Amino acid sequence: MHCFKSRTMQTLIIASLAIAELVRRRVIAAVAVLTAACIALTAWAFHKLHLYALAHAATITRGDEALANSMQVILLAHMFGMVLAIGAAFLAAPAIANEIEGGVALAMLPRPIRRRDVLLGKFMGLSIVTIAFVFLTGSLEFAVVNLYTGYLPPHPVEAMLYLSAGAVVLIALALAGSTRFSPIAVGIVAVALYGIAWIGQVADGLAAAYNNDAIRTACTIISLIIPSGGMWRGSSYSLEPVALAAASTQLRFNPITVTSPPTSAYLIWTAAWIVIVLIAAVISFERRDV
Amino acid sequence: MRTDALTKQYGPVTALAGLSMSVPRGEIFGFLGPNGAGKTTAVKLLLGLARPTSGEARVLGAAPSDLEMRRRIGYLPELFRYQDWLTAREVLALHCALAGLPRVRWSGAIDASLEIAGLTARRDDRVGTYSKGMQQRLGLAVALVAEPDVVFLDEPTSALDPVGRRDVREVLRSLKARGATVFLNSHMLSEVEQVCDRVAVVDRGRVVSLGTLAELLGGSRRVRIGVEASTAALAAAAAAFGIVERAGSTEIVIGGVEPGRIPDVVAALVAAGARIRSVAPESQTLEDRFLALLQEPDDADSDHR
Repeated sequence: MHCFKSRTMQTLIIASLAIAELVRRRVIAAVAVLTAACIALTAWAFHKLHLYALAHAATITRGDEALANSMQVILLAHMFGMVLAIGAAFLAAPAIANEIEGGVALAMLPRPIRRRDVLLGKFMGLSIVTIAFVFLTGSLEFAVVNLYTGYLPPHPVEAMLYLSAGAVVLIALALAGSTRFSPIAVGIVAVALYGIAWIGQVADGLAAAYNNDAIRTACTIISLIIPSGGMWRGSSYSLEPVALAAASTQLRFNPITVTSPPTSAYLIWTAAWIVIVLIAAVISFERRDV
Repeated sequence: MRTDALTKQYGPVTALAGLSMSVPRGEIFGFLGPNGAGKTTAVKLLLGLARPTSGEARVLGAAPSDLEMRRRIGYLPELFRYQDWLTAREVLALHCALAGLPRVRWSGAIDASLEIAGLTARRDDRVGTYSKGMQQRLGLAVALVAEPDVVFLDEPTSALDPVGRRDVREVLRSLKARGATVFLNSHMLSEVEQVCDRVAVVDRGRVVSLGTLAELLGGSRRVRIGVEASTAALAAAAAAFGIVERAGSTEIVIGGVEPGRIPDVVAALVAAGARIRSVAPESQTLEDRFLALLQEPDDADSDHR
């Protein structure tokens, strides 16, 4: 019990250190300023669109406006998800590697702390910051859109959970890479894999529309190897109102909407994937000569 | 502290080739060797930072992975870097937390280690604003903050000015006074000479000599004897005590003389008719011995060829 308590303490020390570093290095301040500017800009744009719709109420119905807003929100979430993934990868990629290369790890690791606790502490700290960022920014954006247009997507909380999960997938991946490879290499690989996973989901929709099983199989394999695409799919689906889904079926395929959310089995796989990658990261870090 | 046939290979490079030695508690142990001799590797294996290829290391009777043991050690790495976005006090508080020091003792331990390292005036400045020498002083404070029983110092004065070096020597002596064991890696012979109880000279991953400074430096030495006129008879008398390296017109140099026999040498030369002006036993410095040891052929190496 004592051992468990002290180990948890060590993990929390590293987690709070990771968060403190983001604050002190002004990462959080920079992101907050950019995000605030971004939200203000979208608020202004939604407001303008709403005024336009009101002025042309004869030709633009409330339903049309809601449909346009829903597409806008989904595209915003895609943009946000991409920035989030790149951000998460760039925060996690140097987390271990820089401390080993720079020498900070030399002073820390001989202390009574397990390397797995260092790694889990980093994972925890970065994940907390990222999830807090998703929920703060996401809630604010949804609130602003609702304030100016009256529109609210159907499942905003689920969408934010999926966005968070996508970022956590990237954090786990980049942390694992960080135990062996340089931050630049890890950052680039993680972002590239994120891109591949996303296009895999889009291609899967296309292949489904045209009944191409070979492409669908390849896309499924990609989605199992790197589950961030599946999380994108979930966030997209959570933001889709019924009207948009119905309108989409008139087209054979479009890249903005998805036809189904990730299955429960896939969500379990995603959780398992994160655990497996973290275990691999711990093994890799523990075997690394510092 | 003990190592048993400790070996570390980095790919084709042998960093440490079967290091066996032990350091009793309370000793200041100097680990001396040229760059690349394997000194830092030995410390990393003792601290569990690297895994040995073969052999075993024990510190305070425990394996390097033992967390209880690690509460009781302090380490100043050769490549010292601390979180540059923290202040010195914060870095030390972090290490108090990691070492599991009870919180009530943090403040006292931090102030004391800042004082020892001479950083009290800059304690609330960010580490990023420190000079290299000050960062090494901070490293010393980090190594000492958790009141360790064993302290590993890897080239602790590499970035320090002469005042800083003297300060480090005083720190080492005070550590010894309170019964701590110090493992000092250095290629600075004067540093080792002034503070270490025992010294291991390492070269190419193996210990070439180990013992107290007296043992390492003691034994036979060279004696220069100034005479009014040197003769063949004097040289012959001198040869009974060692190797006559030189028999000049006014000086005889005898190598390999037992220190206790110097009066006998003088008596024998006087008996042989010498008028002696001066007797100068040369004290061999650690540097001489060090260089001599490194030049000795490596038996193990020649065996392979």
